Amino acid sequence: MFFLKKIKLTAATLLKLTALSATLCATQSFAMPSFARQTGMDCSGCHIGAFGPQLTPAGVLFKLNGYTDSDGAAGKNPLSAMVVASFSKTKANQTPAPDNLKENNNFKIDQASIFYAGKITDNIGAFVQVTHNGVDHSTSLDELDVRYARTLELGGKDVIAGVSVNNNPGVQDPFNTLPVWSFPFTSSPAGFGTGPASTLINDGLGVAGRVIGTSAYALFDKSIYAELGTYKSMSPRGQYLLGLGEDQQRLGGNTYWRLAWMKDQKSQAFHVGLFGWKASVEPDRTVSAPKDNYRDLGIDASYQFLGTREHVATVNFSHVKESKDEGATGLNSTLKETRINASYHYNQTWGGTVGLFSTRGSDPTVATNGAILQADWTPWGKESASAPSPFGSANVRLGAQYWIYNKFAGDTTTAKDHNTLYLFAWTSF
Amino acid sequence: MDQLLIMKTTHKSFLSAFILSAAALGAASSANAQSGDIAKGTALFATHCSECHSMKEGKDKKGPSLFNTFGAKAGQRAGFNYSDAMRAGQLTWNAETLSNYIANPKKVVPGGKMKYDGLESAAERADLIAFLAVKK
Repeated sequence: MFFLKKIKLTAATLLKLTALSATLCATQSFAMPSFARQTGMDCSGCHIGAFGPQLTPAGVLFKLNGYTDSDGAAGKNPLSAMVVASFSKTKANQTPAPDNLKENNNFKIDQASIFYAGKITDNIGAFVQVTHNGVDHSTSLDELDVRYARTLELGGKDVIAGVSVNNNPGVQDPFNTLPVWSFPFTSSPAGFGTGPASTLINDGLGVAGRVIGTSAYALFDKSIYAELGTYKSMSPRGQYLLGLGEDQQRLGGNTYWRLAWMKDQKSQAFHVGLFGWKASVEPDRTVSAPKDNYRDLGIDASYQFLGTREHVATVNFSHVKESKDEGATGLNSTLKETRINASYHYNQTWGGTVGLFSTRGSDPTVATNGAILQADWTPWGKESASAPSPFGSANVRLGAQYWIYNKFAGDTTTAKDHNTLYLFAWTSF
Repeated sequence: MDQLLIMKTTHKSFLSAFILSAAALGAASSANAQSGDIAKGTALFATHCSECHSMKEGKDKKGPSLFNTFGAKAGQRAGFNYSDAMRAGQLTWNAETLSNYIANPKKVVPGGKMKYDGLESAAERADLIAFLAVKK
């Protein structure tokens, strides 16, 4: 009887959630075996818990150096692949069932991706992901981050200076606090995410992958990071050719920026930062109408206890405030997203993470908050344990994730019906 | 004859003194290597070095395997692509050269590949070197 309880969803909410699920499903990216082959390093060298995408300070530098660091040997294969398979169970059935899913108890191949991930020249590297979505069976260009970077000297200090061409604001960021790379790093295609509304920088309008942008960045003395960039919407035809379907939204003038101060003390590391994206958006480029204006401003921080890598603990925090001025109606609204995630890994193998999330704004029907619990096991990806030959750089993570909602879309009485169990097997090779 | 004898004696004395000095220096280097705490050095290696270096023989990462480094000539082991600067440096890894290098890699080998900023504490360097010295 318990599982026959139905969640009543409006068509609009269902549409948003389906879009949100598809988005979540399309943004999983992680430790690249081709990066491990290129550098000779283990996954654990650059990733917390020996599996991506949470970066250690070494991983931050590898990314900012344009994915070009290597062991100096030529002829490394830059291609990688990954597959995520899962079982999802929501506390209450979803009626009607989401597209391509059952009302409950869904076994799915969430996604399969292939990557070009590696150096192209001594100063140019790329991370390009093409994903087949196992739920809606679409195939599209997923993440794109092509970089040029070089190390200069300024006042006797090293400066890494670079340019990123990418298709998702935040995908180029080296910290795991911005929405693109924050916990959870994979989530259920049948789940509900962090609610029915997201900020622009958290892909609230679904522009990820549909834009192309350039940002210039610099890291001074391995401590002060600054970045400035802008994005442009691809044409609907271009989006279609990349497998994304056509979307008529169009970015107007916009500025993406990022400042951070980081410190790597080897046994521990931390950063504090600010970020923002100010953008005007045409809701429909085929109709002449005033643009909506968004101002996203975020503050973030992280701490990593790394020690001898036997016991590793991390805390990641971010808070984003969005102000929106709607061009057509003149209405003003706000949206706030707060995330704090803490993880512990033993021997870079056994991991546990607790995440708290809160979304709220001037519209009370978007308010959503709750917690995410995850336990995972990553047997390989470290010097003490790697996959059997000839798959030495391959890796796998098995995990159990549980989403607990205290409030969903402004409602506390049925929020727990959205609680979701997600069991996943995530492999890379 | 006397002059020749004096020259031979002086030469012998110089040679003896050189050998004794070299032996003393070697003993001092060895003593320095042994003065560190191996257990602390093991932990320091895990914290500061293990992402880019392995202690397994033949396992190179971004940096070369550090197995059997103590006493070896720098930049000469086959199979790893050292920087030209490291190859040309003509260093032999003993307690002194290792300590200097670990303290400030860019100063000792300008143009080298290693991006490590350096380990300031002399005591910690001694611990790390003690660990490296027994890995052979």
